[in-house]
Amino acid sequence: MADFSLLHRAALAGAKSGSFGPTQADGGITLEALPEGHVLQVLASPDAGDLAASIASVSDGSVYAVRAVGPGQWFVVGDAGLSASEFAKTQAALSGRASIADQTHGRIRIGISGAGGEAVLAKGTAVDMHPDQFPVGRSTMTLIGHITAMITRTAADRFEILVLRGFAESLWDELIEMGLEFGVDARTAP
Amino acid sequence: MASLIACPHCGPRPKEEFTVRGDAGINRPAPDAGKDAWYAYVYLRDNPRGRHKEHWHHTSGCRRWLVVERDTMTHAVYSAVDAAVTGETV
Ligand SMILES: [Zn+2]
Repeated sequence: MADFSLLHRAALAGAKSGSFGPTQADGGITLEALPEGHVLQVLASPDAGDLAASIASVSDGSVYAVRAVGPGQWFVVGDAGLSASEFAKTQAALSGRASIADQTHGRIRIGISGAGGEAVLAKGTAVDMHPDQFPVGRSTMTLIGHITAMITRTAADRFEILVLRGFAESLWDELIEMGLEFGVDARTAP
Repeated sequence: MASLIACPHCGPRPKEEFTVRGDAGINRPAPDAGKDAWYAYVYLRDNPRGRHKEHWHHTSGCRRWLVVERDTMTHAVYSAVDAAVTGETV
């Protein structure tokens, strides 16, 4: 138990916000600082077998809450914060089969939507963002410029980026710059 | 340069996402193997021309160690497999 309560500050609270670039009829690109609810990193035991169903059970049940990083590794994300007892419950649910690390304080979600979103991300990553290669529901860890981040496609023209907290504002600034040609509406307040 | 490495987990990715460890064919000697064996293990490396197997870490991707076989002269990449699959110790 902590001796004093920590003051939560949103990672992007002080970041640039407002409109950047030309105003577009289609609304351009929208950047959103998403709620800092929970981010759990799940690492499977070597002999755990297929954990896909079990991991879904510790998520909040939303469609793209579970995001595969690589063999035996996932992130579980959600908008609502987890109390210590709720977190302990998720650990107990996978006890012996996977370990769960609370990364809520460490990783930030950024939403990027609009028809140009695919083109904006393609400026930063070598991953083929075409829907044939990167369909809705797909997640991957990659470099965006020089920053490691996870990209998830949550709709045809909507992505979520999961990035280390300390890099969040740099990436935010870069996304505004890469999106300038489309016009960017940057919303820091969730 | 070998610009695109086909990660078995992530698909083709640029070399900037990886960290190269070097020769994948070197085996750690027994603790009592003697000074010469340990000196060779720690310091001595061939500088081959042609096909070469190396350990590459997908640092900015799945964070798995891979064994990448590439040509050191042409930089053609022949294969990239998870190091755990090939039974390598990393
Ligand atoms: Zn990979």
